[in-house]
Amino acid sequence: MTRRERIMAASRKGRVDRLPFLHCWRHSQIGWAERECRNRGMGISWARPCYIMKMHNVDSTEEQVVSTGEVVVRRTYSTPMGSVYLDEKREPGVGQWHAQRSWKDVMPWQKKRLIQEPEDYEVVKYMVDNTEYIPDYFPIEQAKEWLGEDGVVMSWIPKTPMALLMIEWIGSEEGRFYIHHARYRDKVEGLYEAMSKSLEPLYEIAARSPADIIWIPENLEGYLVNPRLFEKYFMPEYEKCARVLHKHGKLLAVHMDGRLGVLKDLIAKSPIDIIEALHPPPVGDLPISEALSIWKDKVIWVGYPGAVYTLGPEAVKKHALDLLRSVVPGDRLVIEMSTENLVSNENLLMLTSILENVELPLTEEKIDRIERSLS
Amino acid sequence: MAEEKYLVALKEAILNLDYGAVVKAAKEAMGAGVDPLRAVTDGMAPGMSIIGEKFETGEYYLAELVVAGDVMREGMKVINPYIKEEGSKTRKKMVIATVEGDMHDIGKSIVATLLIARGFEVVDLGVDVPAARIIDVVNEHKPAILGLSALLTVTMPKMGEVIAALRAAGLRKKVKVIIGGPSVSAKFAEGIGADHSSTNAVEGVEKCKDWVKEGG
Ligand code: B12
Repeated sequence: MTRRERIMAASRKGRVDRLPFLHCWRHSQIGWAERECRNRGMGISWARPCYIMKMHNVDSTEEQVVSTGEVVVRRTYSTPMGSVYLDEKREPGVGQWHAQRSWKDVMPWQKKRLIQEPEDYEVVKYMVDNTEYIPDYFPIEQAKEWLGEDGVVMSWIPKTPMALLMIEWIGSEEGRFYIHHARYRDKVEGLYEAMSKSLEPLYEIAARSPADIIWIPENLEGYLVNPRLFEKYFMPEYEKCARVLHKHGKLLAVHMDGRLGVLKDLIAKSPIDIIEALHPPPVGDLPISEALSIWKDKVIWVGYPGAVYTLGPEAVKKHALDLLRSVVPGDRLVIEMSTENLVSNENLLMLTSILENVELPLTEEKIDRIERSLS
Repeated sequence: MAEEKYLVALKEAILNLDYGAVVKAAKEAMGAGVDPLRAVTDGMAPGMSIIGEKFETGEYYLAELVVAGDVMREGMKVINPYIKEEGSKTRKKMVIATVEGDMHDIGKSIVATLLIARGFEVVDLGVDVPAARIIDVVNEHKPAILGLSALLTVTMPKMGEVIAALRAAGLRKKVKVIIGGPSVSAKFAEGIGADHSSTNAVEGVEKCKDWVKEGG
């Protein structure tokens, strides 16, 4: 099987000859170690947008300003209803590195959020109501042609409405999202509904895109999103999206790398196909074996935890072998080398030297053999 | 006791996460001449404390904890003008911040809210706070404890920089330092010269309580 076939077969819960493992394009180093690992079976996953977005009657400008003693980039959106702005802080390296990250892998972060005052909701709702999504499949076609059988290209679509409000537009710092949700419930929900409606055509666009997997960079996490919020605002959106995708035979992948224990039963009931970036303990709170047993109809793309990488290759070896022992026979699994931190060459090589030999179905004896081959 | 009914109303308002009710109860209590400090420590704080306990046992989520804290702040706005200076000095102070470069604040804010529920006065500086600002605030507020939070491996060393700056400013001996976050350890704390490290808010808050008890 090719790397692409392996990843896709596992993602569709089919038979696979070896455990698929991959590096996310935007977190991957480039160079001899990465090339060597790819030659030894590591695939690539690449998320690209399937659309362009136009906001009608909305002007946006960017300028550098000093705000509370710091240089930030202020983006202002002006609409007939008034204007809103956000302030972004950028570390050295941002914009000079792929995926807009700093040299230390940190994205620009917002010091002031788009929605600050209750009046801002109306302006932002206007922006949402006047947003148009237009199909643009070139980025996906191009990446598919480039990658060929080396990996998979996914269609990237935005976070679902409440996740976007929580993490980006209102923000969660100082509990702001919860406070807005308690104080201005009607405004929050009104905007949520407008966003949900505005995304409907995009689900159709994504479903018709030339990618087999549609990926949402959701950052779902059980501390911020409690079961009540999940049921009320997240589940319906996943259902709506998946309904459209499934009609076209496409898979829904949702990025969730935090602690998911409190949400595990609800996630089980959701129509999500791929739990992307599930982190085993110590970063997450759900062992992969438990996740596989409670999410019987789902495929797990495991995010290999950065916390283990910081301990060096020997720790990586031990953790990876333990992980394999916990998931025998290894169905419905894909391993992602990392979804956050940049991985050192020596850690990448160590993990590859284990994963390149994982023939499925996995048995205890096979894992013992891999362990012996390493010592 | 006549004061009792006002205190109960304040507590109930917190428990019900009711902004309107807390303002009403606080105004009525102040109008009736209830001791403002009692309105906080025997009225709203016990409500917060129950919410804190429910959060710790998993019955309540972060949402309730945060909103209860916000409802209490709303009540404080009414009560604060009645609190005389000496009164506020008797409460134990804590300054808390997420260090520079790091914008994760959920853990830090939980700690801050639980401390408020335990009767601390908390100065929360928010996220991405440079060492120099922390030093200024410690100088100004003279807290018993400084709490620092960092979640990223690249920002953890900043906690050490803050402690070095405290030392340079001659403040280190005047304030206990507790650090927190999922990757901190006793060894790391020792290395940077912190007094305690905690990967768990409840344990960290207990430590803070012990410290102020010891200190009298
Ligand atoms: C939510 C989250 C975010 C949110 C933050 C929202 C917010 N308002 O805080 C958002 C999406 C914005 C975010 C951004 C980023 N994140 Co983030 N994030 C998380 C996530 C999923 C959960 C963190 C959390 O809040 N946990 C819940 C709280 C309650 O737990 P806690 O913080 O550990 O706090 C507890 C204890 O540690 C302790 N505690 C904490 N502080 C203190 C302080 C004191 C004084 C005391 C006593 C105790 C204490 O008490 C708390 C309660 O028990 C974690 C994954 C994870 N599972 O941890 C990643 C994680 C922390 N993030 C990570 C990364 C890499 C990032 C980014 C750099 C991503 C990027 N490439 O840009 C950016 C950082 C930007 C920046 N400059 O900071 C990595 C860090 C890896 C590393 N070791 O360095 C993690 C581990 C994810 C991963 N899969 O690897 N993130």
